[in-house]
Amino acid sequence: MSTPSIPKSNRMPVGSVQCDNTTLNLLKANDFVAKAIREKLSDVLVINVCSSPGSGKTTLMQETGKRLSDKLNLAVLVGDPETDRDAVRMKEVGINALQIVTGGMCHIEAQMILQALDHIDLAGVDLLFIENVGNLVCPAAFDLGEDIRVTVLAATEGDDKPKKYPRMFLTSELMVISKADLLPYVPFSVEAVTQDAREVNPTIEVMTISSLKGEGLDEWCNWLLEKVAEKKARLATT
Amino acid sequence: MHEASIVRNVFEMLQEAYPDKYKRIIKVQIEAGLLSNIQPILIQNAFEALIVEEPTLASIELEVLLLPIMAHCHTCDKDFEVKRHKFVCECGTPSRNIVQGEELQISRVEFLEN
Ligand SMILES: Nc1nc2c(ncn2[C@@H]2O[C@H](COP(=O)(O)OP(=O)(O)OP(=O)(O)O)[C@@H](O)[C@H]2O)c(=O)[nH]1
Ligand SMILES: [Mg+2]
Ligand SMILES: [Zn+2]
Repeated sequence: MSTPSIPKSNRMPVGSVQCDNTTLNLLKANDFVAKAIREKLSDVLVINVCSSPGSGKTTLMQETGKRLSDKLNLAVLVGDPETDRDAVRMKEVGINALQIVTGGMCHIEAQMILQALDHIDLAGVDLLFIENVGNLVCPAAFDLGEDIRVTVLAATEGDDKPKKYPRMFLTSELMVISKADLLPYVPFSVEAVTQDAREVNPTIEVMTISSLKGEGLDEWCNWLLEKVAEKKARLATT
Repeated sequence: MHEASIVRNVFEMLQEAYPDKYKRIIKVQIEAGLLSNIQPILIQNAFEALIVEEPTLASIELEVLLLPIMAHCHTCDKDFEVKRHKFVCECGTPSRNIVQGEELQISRVEFLEN
């Protein structure tokens, strides 16, 4: 900066000052759009899948698509800072997927989802996954209009994450421990991570899966079918 | 993280909320709950960077207040502070009923009288 900066608090007050105590919510704009998405997608179950980079989200979507293709109609919106590789990977296994390139941004905002909805055909879709940008911090603060938030935690990431990234686990209904096939090779205690996650969020459900070996995928798919059915039942009664 | 866009948002919002008095703002206070993952120093840095783009903002002081996480315990019918992210009251009852800690808002604006 050109002028040497004087600490702002040392500046002399000039004239009299008028105060306004207010509440201008900085996330209000996002919450407003999230509400619009919820209304628009009232007949689709929307699941926001969050995790660190590389926990196995896309692989899990691929396996889910393969297993549930004859039971329900699935679509995926996938956010990444750059490239459309993940959407391509999902399309390769026949999933209706659309890439959201966030342009370097570390999270998806509701506005990006709302815009993406114009570019994906959701006619007859029962379940829409939003694969969030790999990041356990910022996505936690942004409601995307989802019904359910799921956090995926890979066995290779260490079992100390719930306490380090509490807001993510606090706002998730389910924690999926992924890459379970690697559990014998890494120091990761499913019991300890479950206990920590429940200290942050007493009602969080925990599931252990391996997309590579198939372990836990039946439980995961049944959970999804159940949640889709629950939403449909809710819709029918309202 | 997204501190830069937050700071930009702050001034867009103020411009909208106070179209007549915007130019006379001298101080803005932001309240950030500990769960908002906001780092006050990064907010300040982002603000300094914004001033380079918009020098008229240089006369404004930006203050960030961090708010502790508070949850409500049904058993004791009172609020307790969540320390070390343990969402359990001292009586042993777990609670996700957060009454403070998620906010990210402009809480106070000071204007120079003209
Ligand atoms: N051993 C093992 N590896 C897995 C499993 N699932 C995924 N991987 C591997 O983990 C790596 C990352 O998987 P992705 O599915 O791309 O992970 P992602 O979470 O979508 O990654 P980003 O979108 O970049 O955050 C790949 O090399 C996968 O082959 C699993 O169950 N076991
Ligand atoms: Mg991916
Ligand atoms: Zn209590």
